[in-house]
Amino acid sequence: MTLPRDMPAHPIPVPRLETERLILRGPEGRDFDAVCTFQMDAERTKFIGGPVADAFEAWGGFCRVIGHWMWNGYGFWTLEEKATGQAVGRIGLINHVTWPEPEIGWHMFATGEGRGLAYEGALAVRAHGATHLGLDRLISLIDPDNHRSRSLAERMGAVIEGPSELLDKPCLIYRHPSVQGAAA
Amino acid sequence: MSIPTLTTDRLILRAPEQRDFDAFAAFFGSDRAKFVGGPQDRERSWRQFATEAGHWLLLGYGRWMVVDSATGTVVGMVGIWNPEGWPEPEIGWDLFDGSEGKGYATEAAAAARAFAYDALGWDTVISLIAPANVASARVATRLGALKDAEFDHPRLGHLHVYRHPGPQDLADGGAEAYA
Repeated sequence: MTLPRDMPAHPIPVPRLETERLILRGPEGRDFDAVCTFQMDAERTKFIGGPVADAFEAWGGFCRVIGHWMWNGYGFWTLEEKATGQAVGRIGLINHVTWPEPEIGWHMFATGEGRGLAYEGALAVRAHGATHLGLDRLISLIDPDNHRSRSLAERMGAVIEGPSELLDKPCLIYRHPSVQGAAA
Repeated sequence: MSIPTLTTDRLILRAPEQRDFDAFAAFFGSDRAKFVGGPQDRERSWRQFATEAGHWLLLGYGRWMVVDSATGTVVGMVGIWNPEGWPEPEIGWDLFDGSEGKGYATEAAAAARAFAYDALGWDTVISLIAPANVASARVATRLGALKDAEFDHPRLGHLHVYRHPGPQDLADGGAEAYA
């Protein structure tokens, strides 16, 4: 038996966000194939601890994202491109047990690259965190060699606060600016 | 969603919560977890623990924290587990250190099985057990399950498939277990 793709069996209380080209919604069973492809792609995951070895491990990560929502009230949104209905990436607020504080992170699938969709989605998530969750001035933890991700953080106005380590690997802590209109 | 709470004579089976993580991580960090993918570090245990929670929302069933109702101590994790690539849903049990030898796994697994049959409407369920895990095989046998197949998993290796008696085989369907 494999995972039914018409899940979730129980609705996850994920706020739906919208940008010009994207719908940001909760993870659903039908996203699993795209997420699995991404997680098993060595090139695309080399800066985020990947790739996973098999679908079993990818599935664990997929459930984990949902569990993160259940406990924290925030997590990864699935980015669905309005024009195609296709899942093009995941952007969200992450605070695993070994994280120094909640961060904003992005995983763009091959289908979502090179068109500024990550920037568009990340701005929406950052604004939501600041205005609805009290999470202003978020960090992003980025591998020093991950130039594409660093460019996105810098385009969003984040600045390097210092070097650190995450899961025994070097990372840079980027600090985002305060979002206008955020609760003081 | 609300994860159902089941009660038995001595135990409460309830939703996993973040406050249970230390007990979970202690188990998965110990040699006691050697037949179920461990031992592993705290970071990996965290990932596994969040996976347990997500399993409930995605599939509508999962594993409960098992609490000794007399003392409030978390004694283990028992329930229904069905990750990607599993042959079919299984009833699994992990007893934390110091809670073995009291029949807790059998009692909790019987309640989980009753839930599978009565609440989910299933007519069969298995348990996957590593061949060297004698204590776990004993629990399966006590529950009336019989080894009927074998299964090779890329991560967990060679496993024995124990099939539980179906609802029609159980004189007591167990509905009172979570009444």
